[in-house]
Amino acid sequence: MAMTSRTGISVDRLDAAARRGATPIDVVDTLPPTRRKRASRVLLARHSPWILTTLSVLAGVVVWAIASRTLDSPLFPSPLRIAQALVESIGNKTLLVDIAVSVRRIAIGFVLGCVVGVPLGLAMGLFPLVRAFCDPVVQFLRFVPPIAWLIPAIMWFGIGETSKIAIIFYMTVFLVLLNTMTGVAAIPRNQLRSAENYGVSGWQLFAWIVFPATLSYSVAGARIAMGNSFAAVVGAELIAANAGLGYRIVDSGQWMAMDQMFSAMLVLGLLGIAADRLARVLATRFLWHYVHASDHAD
Amino acid sequence: MPIEPAPVSGQIADPGSIAVRRVSFAFGSGRPPVLDDVTFDVASGEFFVLLGPSGCGKSTVLNVIAGFEHPAQGTVLAGGRPVEAAARDRVVIFQDSDSLYGWLTVVDNVAFPLRVQGVATRERNERALAVLRVVGLKGHERKYPGELSGGMKQRTQLARALVLDAPILLMDEPFAALDAQTRSILQDELVQLSVTMRRTVLFITHDIGEAILLGDRVGIMRAGPGSSIKETIVVDLPRPRRRGSAEFGALYERIHRSISEEVQQALRREDSLLS
Repeated sequence: MAMTSRTGISVDRLDAAARRGATPIDVVDTLPPTRRKRASRVLLARHSPWILTTLSVLAGVVVWAIASRTLDSPLFPSPLRIAQALVESIGNKTLLVDIAVSVRRIAIGFVLGCVVGVPLGLAMGLFPLVRAFCDPVVQFLRFVPPIAWLIPAIMWFGIGETSKIAIIFYMTVFLVLLNTMTGVAAIPRNQLRSAENYGVSGWQLFAWIVFPATLSYSVAGARIAMGNSFAAVVGAELIAANAGLGYRIVDSGQWMAMDQMFSAMLVLGLLGIAADRLARVLATRFLWHYVHASDHAD
Repeated sequence: MPIEPAPVSGQIADPGSIAVRRVSFAFGSGRPPVLDDVTFDVASGEFFVLLGPSGCGKSTVLNVIAGFEHPAQGTVLAGGRPVEAAARDRVVIFQDSDSLYGWLTVVDNVAFPLRVQGVATRERNERALAVLRVVGLKGHERKYPGELSGGMKQRTQLARALVLDAPILLMDEPFAALDAQTRSILQDELVQLSVTMRRTVLFITHDIGEAILLGDRVGIMRAGPGSSIKETIVVDLPRPRRRGSAEFGALYERIHRSISEEVQQALRREDSLLS
């Protein structure tokens, strides 16, 4: 009996096609129309990460190219022009310096934010007194966005590194803290009771139960914070800075160097995706049983 | 002089004995009582099943004995000593397997109580593996709870309780969430385990068949609120018991009638309150 794949196409047939150098999609085309429709949906779903990503990127570039061609304005440089500016700015190192400056600010603010946010969130989740004391301030401050603190931060800390790091730190602390606190509340009562049953001490409960049980929540908060960090750092650099990707956008604008401006924005987007992917890969690689701990409990 | 009458029988002071004396319980003062004057004894090595309509406070009795909840009145003695807090001599097996630690492997979960006690890694792993063999989980030690079936999760919970050599096991409807097939297998295994290990078991269930299958004695609880023990029935059937036998059926009928009466009386009480 021939084995069939989920598409309804026999595996032998796919193998034969592969030997001929044909792709599964070519095989789909040989099927009768009714089966073709279903099979191509399944194939698209399976290979969609790459097919659809490529299509999506291409579509974006094409739309931009058409807009740039139609408008024919120096304010809308073509994709090719932007790519050239990108290569140039990599060549003369300005872009690499900007990236290094912005990434450094994000990294320091982000790490400090996590280091403060996780323990504070755990403490607020565990101790009603700490929560009662901190919660009003936290609830108030979470609605004062980082951008609102930009001007006071620059006036207090100057236009150097400190003001930018402070903004990233501020934003990260709240996201991580609130998520961690939610994580503590979500620990199954039976986990705490069984630990109590085995006679855990205070610090054992903290280190062996509460911290690992909430880790997935803390990591989720950190990932959101990482994404927002890019927005926050650009905001800070737009207002006052002498290097960084946000500064590059302002500076290019002043010189009407639109190609350079868009290349900086392109890099921002790519860096953001890279950081998020890295966080996800690290989380799945090293923390998967923590990250999925909450999904597992059913 | 003690206010409560001192235990008469010598076996009460045995580490496996449980004595519940006139226990009342409410979730907060001013709220209607969940338990009102609950009294019963479980002898060391006995398999005692607490049976009753849902919501009658069976699990609350277990939580009070475990030391998770504190009675408003009355006392609980475990091994002859008053219960003040949760302790390792009375290990709870929960209905919901979310009590397993999702970030630890099966063997680390089972070894966890030993780790708390400061037992060295090598020794606690050996002891955990030995218990895992007893509950039929050999070969699954390195899995995480999320990779286990419902039945295997409950086996892991059982192993984690057995590793402590506690004289008393408190089981709160441990098989209620399992499919019929798995439940029946685990019931049979638990009977064998309890015969060979002679631990005291307090087993909570709302399943009459399960109660007769497992218990040496069955305590039937009144419908709440303000529940107490209505009657205690000795299950005098040889093991292994078969659901099909005539004696089993007769006992099932008797208990079923007793619980039905209880539920109907409770409904009448509610009706009279409403009218």
